[in-house]
Amino acid sequence: MNTAAGLLSVRNICKSHFDPNIGGQAEALQAVSITVDHHEFVSVIGPSGCGKSTLLRIVAGLDQPNSGEISVAGQRVSRPGADRGMVFQEYALFPWKTTQANVEFGLLLKGIKKEERAEIARRFIELVGLKGSEQKYPHHLSGGMRQRAAVARAMANNPKILLMDEPFAAVDAMTRQRLQEELTAISASERTTVLFVTHAIEEAVFLSDRVVVLSGRPGRVIADMKIELDRPRRWDELAGERRFNDYREQLTRLLYGANAPVEMSS
Amino acid sequence: MTASAPSSRLPLTAWWLAWLIKEIMPFAVGVLIWQVLSVLDIWPSVLFPSPFQVFRAFVTDLESGVLLSSLGVSLISLCWGFFVGAAIALPLGYLMGLHSVSRDFFDPLVNLLQAIPGLAWIPFAILWFGLGKGAVIFIIVMSVFFPILHNLLTGIRLIQPVLIEASQTLGAGRAAIIRHIIFPATLPNLMTGIRLGIAFGFRSLVGGEMIASTDGIGYQIFNAQQYFQSARIVVGMLSIGIVWLLLDRLLLRPIEQRTTMRWGLLREGIDNT
Repeated sequence: MNTAAGLLSVRNICKSHFDPNIGGQAEALQAVSITVDHHEFVSVIGPSGCGKSTLLRIVAGLDQPNSGEISVAGQRVSRPGADRGMVFQEYALFPWKTTQANVEFGLLLKGIKKEERAEIARRFIELVGLKGSEQKYPHHLSGGMRQRAAVARAMANNPKILLMDEPFAAVDAMTRQRLQEELTAISASERTTVLFVTHAIEEAVFLSDRVVVLSGRPGRVIADMKIELDRPRRWDELAGERRFNDYREQLTRLLYGANAPVEMSS
Repeated sequence: MTASAPSSRLPLTAWWLAWLIKEIMPFAVGVLIWQVLSVLDIWPSVLFPSPFQVFRAFVTDLESGVLLSSLGVSLISLCWGFFVGAAIALPLGYLMGLHSVSRDFFDPLVNLLQAIPGLAWIPFAILWFGLGKGAVIFIIVMSVFFPILHNLLTGIRLIQPVLIEASQTLGAGRAAIIRHIIFPATLPNLMTGIRLGIAFGFRSLVGGEMIASTDGIGYQIFNAQQYFQSARIVVGMLSIGIVWLLLDRLLLRPIEQRTTMRWGLLREGIDNT
């Protein structure tokens, strides 16, 4: 086995699950292989139902593939673990814990002492711009603030790779752009390795070093595109830039093509 | 719900007065109608004692110590019944909630048994424990048990899977999930179960004491009836109501509201009692 291939190695993942509409097994992912290098930001995009969220859950260990394997830093993994932090679309903050306690949770599980926990949590809460909200409960935070807290919670645990499942899909457009800018800045300064799933092409281009395109069901990798744009990235600068628009156009065509073979039913 | 916070700019004393009137008014009107009906003298006082007779009986029972001592006996039985019932319901609930084989085994049994009211256990309670506290406590246990178990199971069922998944990606194993996710996540429903359990237990307590005991407030009511002391019956009935009101308002509701509010799962307006 080639263990030198990147930090995260996804090899030949196949996954099918029961589909009540056809009354049998439906293939969701077909021999998907992706590699993510250290400090790389990789997005996976694809038409809805292509299995990109399933892929991320398999990497997290929350779903099991029918075949294929996942390794992180050369170690095969099949169960969830603190080496793969995850940010969920629905935030998944613990409602009975304050922001501070949410962010400290992974550190608590690791047995880190109280003072040190508090210190690390404080640093990441500040990093995501939630200073002053440490003692608030999640239901007192706005959607954007909740997702910031969830990012801080995942990052404070110092995972080898951060998995993000459409984390900004549930917030309003203005907040989304701001969160995207914050995420590029933070992931660059912290040198975080990220695998990011989204259906928004612009978001993928804006955030990523590479964008992996999955076809419609069953999901197969149909393109793996390097995004060569300078960092730090900001929307007001990129929105008019030609290279940004070129990437967007290419990916739109790829996705459009990827969608075509799928029969549309109304 | 009790009165809301003093949002308008009323002085504090005026706000207190308004609150007092709002709380006292329904009872005052009730007593007034009661007084008018007894003055009209439609029924003999043994069938319909007047507020004044009741008040006099209340003072007598208070001075003789009968009222407080029998209330004390009843509350101690309630506590015992509650603790024993909860001590069985909690482990069983978590076992059923977390272990599907146990759930499949116990679920039909629990379903069958929970249809049987606590008071239906009186005959066996007397046969097994004899007349007295043991029988009463047993009946309370049977009444407290099911609401607690039922609400606990509901709480476990309502846990969002994504919270468990989030904890797993932060490094939580099975023990940590139970301790840090399952326990706190079920607390609001558990509080509701405890409040309902005590309410159910309280009702069975009085019924149980009337038939299966020789002490306690239920027995006092039953005893007063034997001697046609109608006013004392009312004293017993009203003390039960007042004790429940105090227990619920001063202890159970505040605890329940504090947990649900902190959890951000405000469920105002849903009231099962």
